[in-house]
Parts: sequence; structure tokens; C-alpha cells
Amino acid sequence: MFLEISAIKKSFGEGENRTEVLKGIDLSVEKGEICVLLGPSGSGKSTLLNIIGGIDSADSGSITISGDKLEDMNEKALTNYRRKHLGYVFQQYNLIPNLNIKENVEVGAYLSSSPLDTDELLKTLGLYEHRHKLPNQLSGGQQQRTAIGRAIIKNPDLLLCDEPTGALDYKTSKEILSLIGEINSKYGNTVIMVTHNDAIKNMADRVVKLRDGVIRKNYLNEVKISASELDW
Amino acid sequence: MRDPLIKRLPRELREELGKYLVIFLFFVMLIGSVSGFIVADSSMIDAYEEGFEKYNIEDGNFELASEADSDLISVLEEKGGIKLYRNYYKEEYTSPFDSKLRVFGARNEVDKVCIMEGSEPAASDEIALDRLYARNHKLEVGGTFRLEEKELKVCGIAALSDYSALYEKTSDMIFDNDKFGVGVMTDEGFASVRDDHIHYSYSWIYNEKPADDIEAKDKSEELVKVLSENAVLVNYIPEYINQAIVFAGNDMGNDKVSFTAFLYITVAVLAFIFAITTESTIQKESGIIGTLRATGYTRGEIIRHYMILPMTVLLVGAVVGNILGYTLLEKYMASMYYDSYSLPTYTVRFSAEALIKTTLVPFAIMFAVNLAALVRKIRLSPLRFIRHDLSRKQRRKAFRLNTRIGIMIRFRLRIIFQNIPNYITVFIGIFLADAILFFGLSFEPMLDSFRESIIDNQIAENIYILKAPAETSAPGAEKAATDSLEISFDGFKAEDVSIYGITDGSRYVSIDSTGDGVYISSAFRDKYSLDKGDSFTMKEKFGSKEYEFKVAGFYEYPSTIAVFTGLDRFNELFGYESGHYNMYLSSSEITDIDDKLIATRITSDDLTKTSRQLVRSLGDITKIFVGFGVVMFVLVIYLLSKIIVEKNARSISMVKILGYTNSEINSLYVHTTTIVTALSLVLTIPLADRLIALIFKIVFKNYSGYFPYKASPVIMLETFIIGAVSYALIALLLNRRVKATPLAEVLKNVE
Repeated sequence: MFLEISAIKKSFGEGENRTEVLKGIDLSVEKGEICVLLGPSGSGKSTLLNIIGGIDSADSGSITISGDKLEDMNEKALTNYRRKHLGYVFQQYNLIPNLNIKENVEVGAYLSSSPLDTDELLKTLGLYEHRHKLPNQLSGGQQQRTAIGRAIIKNPDLLLCDEPTGALDYKTSKEILSLIGEINSKYGNTVIMVTHNDAIKNMADRVVKLRDGVIRKNYLNEVKISASELDW
Repeated sequence: MRDPLIKRLPRELREELGKYLVIFLFFVMLIGSVSGFIVADSSMIDAYEEGFEKYNIEDGNFELASEADSDLISVLEEKGGIKLYRNYYKEEYTSPFDSKLRVFGARNEVDKVCIMEGSEPAASDEIALDRLYARNHKLEVGGTFRLEEKELKVCGIAALSDYSALYEKTSDMIFDNDKFGVGVMTDEGFASVRDDHIHYSYSWIYNEKPADDIEAKDKSEELVKVLSENAVLVNYIPEYINQAIVFAGNDMGNDKVSFTAFLYITVAVLAFIFAITTESTIQKESGIIGTLRATGYTRGEIIRHYMILPMTVLLVGAVVGNILGYTLLEKYMASMYYDSYSLPTYTVRFSAEALIKTTLVPFAIMFAVNLAALVRKIRLSPLRFIRHDLSRKQRRKAFRLNTRIGIMIRFRLRIIFQNIPNYITVFIGIFLADAILFFGLSFEPMLDSFRESIIDNQIAENIYILKAPAETSAPGAEKAATDSLEISFDGFKAEDVSIYGITDGSRYVSIDSTGDGVYISSAFRDKYSLDKGDSFTMKEKFGSKEYEFKVAGFYEYPSTIAVFTGLDRFNELFGYESGHYNMYLSSSEITDIDDKLIATRITSDDLTKTSRQLVRSLGDITKIFVGFGVVMFVLVIYLLSKIIVEKNARSISMVKILGYTNSEINSLYVHTTTIVTALSLVLTIPLADRLIALIFKIVFKNYSGYFPYKASPVIMLETFIIGAVSYALIALLLNRRVKATPLAEVLKNVE
């Protein structure tokens, strides 16, 4: 198993204000799977993603990725873990505003000893002609494609996407989802995608539904459709 | 209803407490020092000016070759429209103190004495001594010392109203209260001191006081003619050019201008820092601002909100600074003058000028700079704020960088270009800090080196100016002649120039006296930027005859504005008989000439007194300069580089998530500041050097004499090292800040 999550618990606040966000999550994800975490606001899906990404820590439980246990890692080891294994895509893109599009992607490439070809990737992403522009000169969809490019240029084992279409319109959202699907097919990365859009589950290999910090459903899709066929 | 935004202010203050506290303390220190200085300065200037009437300070004095009888005095008083007062003095070398003491008789009518401690002399063996001279030689009331063969008792510590600056001669570049002092005795006591070095000096008061210096000049030009026609005039010093009287007043006035200018420049730099900080806050809070604007808050209300904190910090800093200025710092600042000048007592007075200069003007500068920056920023539409689109130029294009340059270098370059206003302010701040630091560090070593150079280049170990020709058999003694003329170049204060007539083949001064030109000292050349072949004109000091000279060469003599020519030519020029001389240059001490025939003996002490006195006067202040420079350096760089890190917190957080290590992130966001700081240091140190050299040139236009500004490379290196070490501390703080930037920053809403 590529990713093993076992009895993860996480709470925020103290005393009366203490809220248990994750109440013991167990989950396994195979290498190359697209796993969609579904759930309403406050269900704990983003918290779980952040714990998997090593940018937040669990109160208890264990996460193992390719045999390495996250809870045993210190800050330096976690940095190395993110550097080697992870690509991150956020709803808000989080591009570096003073770097142009190509440079934003190169920031990701710098971290890998064998990154993908930047120009080739920019062409794949449809950004090549925009490569000298600053992020604020592009549309939301183009910015999100840049963020995806930055995440996958180092060809990570695990691509974490937190509401990647949350800020995009229907058409652009579908383009982005198609792109994620294509990347998964082409490079074989494992994708864990957080979304509250129920329709997206149809492009996933695995669907995990969370509510109130507990996994309500966890199943493999029998029929998986391409992102272009999604509708909502 | 009360503006609800006000409730945010305490929170904003808490969040940025460190920054506001540092700036507050800097303001307190800056405004306190300047306020203390202006209060002390103004109060002392008032006391100094009131002293002219209170102590009946003379309108001038002159010295005659011999005592004037009552007939001559009547003639001079009548023809000159003046009242004359006998103000004879005797000047003796006091061997225990290795200095000269000028003693006067009782002064009851003119140039009265302010007794600061003890009492006026009552017995013939009592003397009231100048406060600084007494202090420098550890003499207190009740103490005794020998003046030639006479034992004197110090009965009082005094300030002589016509010697607020202890100038021995008004033509000296500066006074030296260690090597020269004044004191008053009773008339009987004065008479009991030997007459060998008596000076028949008379002070005058005009029957009708001149209205200003222009009229005083006209009157004194008339008076000198009357005196020259009726008596043998040895010396003539109208009050308005008497450095011993006017220097302290002028200096205190000039210092006030310099301190105030320094305050304004520093406040302007801090105002720019605040403006940049506020701009960065606006960037951070643009969504909030957009929403507030969209819900009806006016631009004015938003601007007011963002101006309250900086203006309050300045105002509170100014209030605390002024309180300190009036209490603790006033005494410290006053002591700097009291360490240099023999000023009478003064009382601290409220100074409206201090309030205006240290509070109102800085407030206005801060207000104007911040208002301009905010108005420019807040002008954008609410929608632009909500969209976080605050760039002035819509859809600004990124300029291209060669992709062959590594991404990390390009990243750093982009950070530099993104923060150009911050870095320009860093550059200006470093320049100012460096100039202050550089001056503080270079001043004493420069004077030491100047002193060494004077000693290395003195004409002869012993120089004797004679009252009348006298032969000597001292080995190495060489006859020469000296006189002085006055030079007045455009833009320069008129000053005395010593002319030396040197014998052919002199063993002391090597010049070619065959041509028609003269040699000028290196100090003369440097001060007036003269070159070989240039001509200049000088005139008699107490007459109107003019002399034209052509520069044939230079003689390395850094301490004095002087002209060297052959002895024969000298005598011809001034109309003396061939063979005339009035000076000996000698490698050995001359002991076979009657002391009465020697007017002055010039030793290396005389030549180096300028540097000694400058060290004494400004030694403490240069240490303050060093401290102030370091504080300013740290403050400017820290505040501005902190803004850069804060502004990029989201990007820093993102690259952390991507897997960049802290050292890699530091290499991006902190090392850019390191590069800019290092470059600024390297560039601004020579600029600071040039600036101080320029200031020296300008300052010396208003002073007699000259000394060359020269900072050694060691000082430049020291300045760089102090800058680098200070920056290392800042970099450490910035590294910690980068490390503390949370990964979750990107998960936050943009506000």
C-alpha cells in the first residue's frame, strides 16, 4: 500500500472550545489512484489533507507513505518528505506574484534532481505563450494550471489538491480536472483531491466521504469516467 | 458614533509592538537629543547675548607699541568717537602647566568678569582663573601655582566676558584652552607681575554703538586710520572679528542649524519607512479596506485610520523626548559647550524654537510623507482593493530575465525588483548612517594623523619671532623674516596669511627663490584650490595696500596658510632694508637672546593646538555619532527588510510547502537584503567619504586656517565591518522570522 492512514485524530481549541475535527480516520490509498475526499464544510477533509501533506500534525494516529512514518519525522525530515514526494495544489493558486509563469514552474523544478522539461510541460498545460507573464495577468484557470505545473514539474509521487476548482467556473473547472486526470494517467502519480463537489467523485478510483470527522463511506469506483464527461 | 476602527488600533499596536517600540525609542533619543541641544543652545545663546550688555563687552581693542599718555588717549577718544579703557595684560609661560597664561588687572568697567565659583581677587597674590584653564590644569579655588617668580592663589573660577572662546590670537584657526588661559588680578597684583611681557592693550566702546556688523566694519575702518595716524599700532581687533568674543556665539548658532538639519533628514527617512510599512499593511489588508470602502467608509476615514499609529508614535516620542530634552539631556548638551567655551552661567528657558523644530516640523514631515503615500494608494476603487489588485499600472508586464541564469538567482533578482522602494530607502538610510558613523570613526584618527604630519613637516623645531633684531650663536639658527597679510577670496572668510622670507639655501625651507613667483603652503593650496601659475592678491591687514602673488610651487606645510619667498625679495616687497630679519629658525633652543627681545616662540605645541582642541571639543560627540550611526543603520535595515519578509509571507509559506529548506528560503528572501546591504555599504562608504570631504571644504570657508580631510582605508574598513556586524544581527533576526513563518499561511484567507 502506498499510503496508509491509521486512527488519525485531530482537534482544535481548548477546554469548552475544543472541537474534534478528525475522530479516528483509517484509510489506505494505492499508488496511482485518484482518491477524492468528499464532504461538507467542517467535515475535516482539508485537515486530513494537510496532515497527509505534513503541513499540519495529527494529535494521534499514524500515516505511512512508501514505508516512511510521518509521525517519526522532525521538521527537516518533513521538509525533505514534501520535497521528494509531494505536489500541492490549492484553491487560491498561491503563485509567487513577482515571478513570471515559467519561473513559478521552475521554482518547483529546482527541488527535483530529474524534473520534467519545463517548456514541454508549459506546452502541455497550454501556458507556453504566457510563460513570460506575471500571475496577475492570467485568468484564474490559467493560474491554477500554473499551480498544477509547479506541483507536477518535479513528478511527485503524491499530488494533493485542496479544492482545486473551488474558485473556478464550470468550464474551467472541467479543464483543470481533465488536466489532473491526464497527469495521473501520464505520470502515474497518486492524487488525493479534496472537494465538496459531489460530481467529481465520478472521475476517482477511490471515493471517501467524510462528515463530522468520521469516514462515512470509502469505496472504489466501479465505473470511472473522464473529467470531460463530468457534469454538475 | 465613535469610529469603530479605533478599536483595531490597540491590537495593531500589540501585533507590531517591537517595531513601534524601536521607532518610539529612536524618536525619543533623536528628538530628546535635539530638543536638549536646542534648549541648552538657545538658553546659552540668550545668556551669551545678554552678556554683551551685562558685562559691558568692548567694541574692540588695540595694542600700542608703548603706553599711551593721557593726551594721546584724549586725542584718540575725541577723533575716534570712542571711550578708551586700559586693559593691559601680561602673558607669561607657566612651566608647571606647559602653557601660556594671560593675566589682566581689575576689570570694573569693561569686559567684566563672571565669577562662577569663589570670589573676585582681593589681595595682590590672588587670581580668578578661567574655568576651563583651571579645570584642565586641576586648579581649584584655594589652590596655588607659580607664575614666573610669583606664587598665586586661586580665589575664584571665572568666565571673562571677552574670552568666551580662549583664542590666543584672533587669527588662530581655533583656540586651545589647555595651552592658553586667562585670569584677572587686582591692579596691585597685576603690577607685581614682571613687566617683561606686558601688552599695552586698550579696549574701546563707541560713543554711538554701530547698528550692525556692516556699520561696525565701517566705523572700525575709520578708527584704524585715526589710530595709525596718531600712534604705533601693534594689534587691532574690532569686536565683530574678535574670535575670542564672537566665535562661541557663531558656533552655537551654526550647531543649531546642523542639528536641526540632521533631525529633519532622519525624520524624513523614518517617515519613508513608515510610509512603506503602511503601504505593505494596506496590501495585506486590501480586502478589508475594499469592503469598508464598499460599505460607505470614506477615503479620509481610511487614511486617518492608517495614519493614527505612526503619528501617535511620533507625537508621544516627541513629548517624551522633549521632557528628557528639558531635564536630563539639556545638561549633557550644555556640558559639551561648557567643555569647550568659557561661557557665563545661564538659566534654562522654555524654547518655542525647540518645540517647533523638534515636534511641529517632524510632525509635519511625517504627516506629509505618510499622507502622500496613503492618498496615492487609497485612491484606487473599492473593487480593486477587494480583488487585491493594487498595482498602479494595470496588468503590469514582467520584464524578462535571461533563462540561462539559474532560477534561484532570477528569484532573488525578482525580489530585489519587487522591493525597489524599500531598497532605495535602505540605500539612503545606510548612506546617512555611514556618513554619521564614518565621521565619528574618522575624526580622532584624522586629527592624530594631522598632528603627526604637522610635527613631521614643521619648518624648524624652534621658531622665534623677535621684537627687535638680535644676534645668536645657537648652532643651526638661521635668520628669516615674517609678516602677515590678509587674503579674502570670494565665498571665504577673510583670514591672515603668514609670509615668510627665507634665506637662500636655507637648511629648513627648501624653495627656489630665484623666480618671480612664491611658494605657498600645502594648506593654502588645498583650501583655496590654487595651482602652479595661479595668481592671488592679498592686502595689508590694517591698511589698503595690495600685493599680487603668483604661485611658483608648493611647500609641504599642512598646518598654516602661508607664503614662502626669498628673504631679499621679502624685504623688497615690504620695503625693509636689505638684511632685515625678525625671526630665527633653529634646530636647537636659543638661549643667548634676551627674553624681552623675543615676541613669540612657536613650538610644535602651537602648531598642533588646533587638533588637540578639536579632539577635546568634539571627542565625546564623535562617540555619540558612532552610536547613533549604528542605531540608525540597524533600525533602517531591520524595519525595511522585515517588511520584505512580511510582505512575502505567503510566498515563503508556499515554498516551504513545496519543500524548500529554511536555508534555501533565507538565501532567497534574506540574502537579497544581504546583497543590497553589502552593495550599499561598499558604495556609500566612498560617498560618505566624499560628503564629509565636501562638508569640510564648505565649513573651512568660514574658518581661518585649514586642515585637510583625509580618512584612512582602515576607517573605511572599520565602517564596513561595523555595518557588516550590525547587519549580521539583523540577518539573524530575519532568519528567525523566516523560520517562524507558518506553513499554514497559505491556508489563511488573504487577510
